[in-house]
Amino acid sequence: MPRKIVIVGANAAGVDAAVAARKTDREAEITLLTKDSYYTYSRCGLPFVLSGHIQSFENLIVYPPNFFKVNKLNLHLETIVTGIDTKPRTVEALSKDGTSETFEYDKLVLATGAFPFRLPIEGIDKQGVYTLHTLNDGLKLAEAMKTARSAVVIGSGLVGLEATEAFVERGIKTTVVEMLPTVLPRLLDPDMSSDVQKKFEESGVTFILGKSANAILGDNKVRAVSVGGEEIPADIVLNAAGVRPNVELAQKAGIAIGETRGIKTNSRMQTSDENIYAAGDCAETTHLVTGKPALPLLGSAAVKMGKVAGTNAAGGDAFYPGTLFSWVSRVFHLDVGGVGVTEFWAKQISMDVVVGKITSKTRASYFPGGLPLKVKILVEKNTRRVVGGQIVGGEEVTQRINILSLAIQNRMTIDDLAKADTCYAPSVCEAWEPIVLAAEIAQRRL
Amino acid sequence: MIELNVEGYEVPEGLYYSKDWMWIKVEDGKVRIGITDYAQKQLNEVVFAELPNVGDEVVKGEPFGTVESVKSVSDLVAPVSGKVLEVNGEVSNTPGTLNEDPYNKGWILVVSPTNLQEDLKVLMTFEQAVEWHKELVKES
Repeated sequence: MPRKIVIVGANAAGVDAAVAARKTDREAEITLLTKDSYYTYSRCGLPFVLSGHIQSFENLIVYPPNFFKVNKLNLHLETIVTGIDTKPRTVEALSKDGTSETFEYDKLVLATGAFPFRLPIEGIDKQGVYTLHTLNDGLKLAEAMKTARSAVVIGSGLVGLEATEAFVERGIKTTVVEMLPTVLPRLLDPDMSSDVQKKFEESGVTFILGKSANAILGDNKVRAVSVGGEEIPADIVLNAAGVRPNVELAQKAGIAIGETRGIKTNSRMQTSDENIYAAGDCAETTHLVTGKPALPLLGSAAVKMGKVAGTNAAGGDAFYPGTLFSWVSRVFHLDVGGVGVTEFWAKQISMDVVVGKITSKTRASYFPGGLPLKVKILVEKNTRRVVGGQIVGGEEVTQRINILSLAIQNRMTIDDLAKADTCYAPSVCEAWEPIVLAAEIAQRRL
Repeated sequence: MIELNVEGYEVPEGLYYSKDWMWIKVEDGKVRIGITDYAQKQLNEVVFAELPNVGDEVVKGEPFGTVESVKSVSDLVAPVSGKVLEVNGEVSNTPGTLNEDPYNKGWILVVSPTNLQEDLKVLMTFEQAVEWHKELVKES
């Protein structure tokens, strides 16, 4: 009898789990159940369709029907999973036409993702309030953007800022409201995020920081957002206040939920039920620096977790070490990224850190076309270990974040990093690698 | 040899095709086997190819190996039954050959067929394969 693997969710984590399972077991019956009506698409690409950098939402479909055929994966679209029974090992689902169906499993992978946090404020259900989480969200928002002149974005995380850029590029006057005092507050320290904020302000974006949106005003349709007594006019409001993991299904089945509100997993992505795995935005893992539970909510982590869950579900042996929250983005010709802990998080967990920071250029000073590059490295004082990094620059940020990620993951000290044997040619970089310079500065401050 | 391009997929004349995305070429009673241009394009860059050994038996309709890319893995399903006479070492060593030249340098096996006339009856001719490719494109 072939092994039966059922995967709930068919986005980043779900599909990577399916492919890994198929590569591990060529005979297994692999079924994916998704409530989505589209074939697997990239959520991370949604803002770039709004801005016009990507022609249409259809271009975001990364796994078309043929992919499922070639890999012999049974995909059920528009199928809502209503329950899991862990004893006979079955999953109950409701298909589009209302018929319920039971799927048996030997191993189950939960890749149920996350949902946009519904702000508990008056008027949140008014016409003209959008989220940007699904392809349908994108379609609706794109339609509204055609006539909108003004927008308020609630939340200055990555989705909020990437959408803001799209609004600006489409000529929509945009105000960003952020509850905390800086932009990208969970990802960047203020000394780095100020560069990002400036770039947006130069493009005409207004920020209201350190204040919450109190209410969304208007009759049926949005007219304005009330922020600290002030009314900000808005034809559209984007609720980008973050997402929360979808764990209801797991919870109902008695599967353990962790302190981050994600489904608890071990390094094999196994939940508290040995036959059930979890991966992606719904799954809690471990922070590689702090050793504490962590909820990455990042596509990069989702695919890695998915691969591990799928491999193990199919009888293989794989492990996911945990997350460093490595992330990168590009907004208004500015690359920005980070990895590990920030000063803010270090303070939260009482970790004593020292900072090394430098602003350099992406080419030799005399070579035309070089762009600024600001590198910040965080070092734990008593162990001298590199524990975090943030980089903002005109280009060449992504792979430097990856370098820092490798350094942190391999528990390098700042002294190791300061001796990195880096390459050089004036047309592509500076003789002294900015990471090495920042590391040397951190060393002197220790 | 005419190579017809059906909506971006090469379909050469003179070959027979299976619905498992394989082609065969009959050469002096032997059969050369490979994957179609459509198949290699669905897989993208092939990074591993697991192939049988010379002397192995392949059975029509059953997998004799796998081809794997970063995002996909697919069985190689035998379009005919027979005994393996030759295995293309270049495909094992450099699986990307399947992407570069699926109908020539990227051939996979040469087999000595055991039931060729019967097997041929259920394979598609060039004309049928052209129509089938049109359907495949329409489906996606």
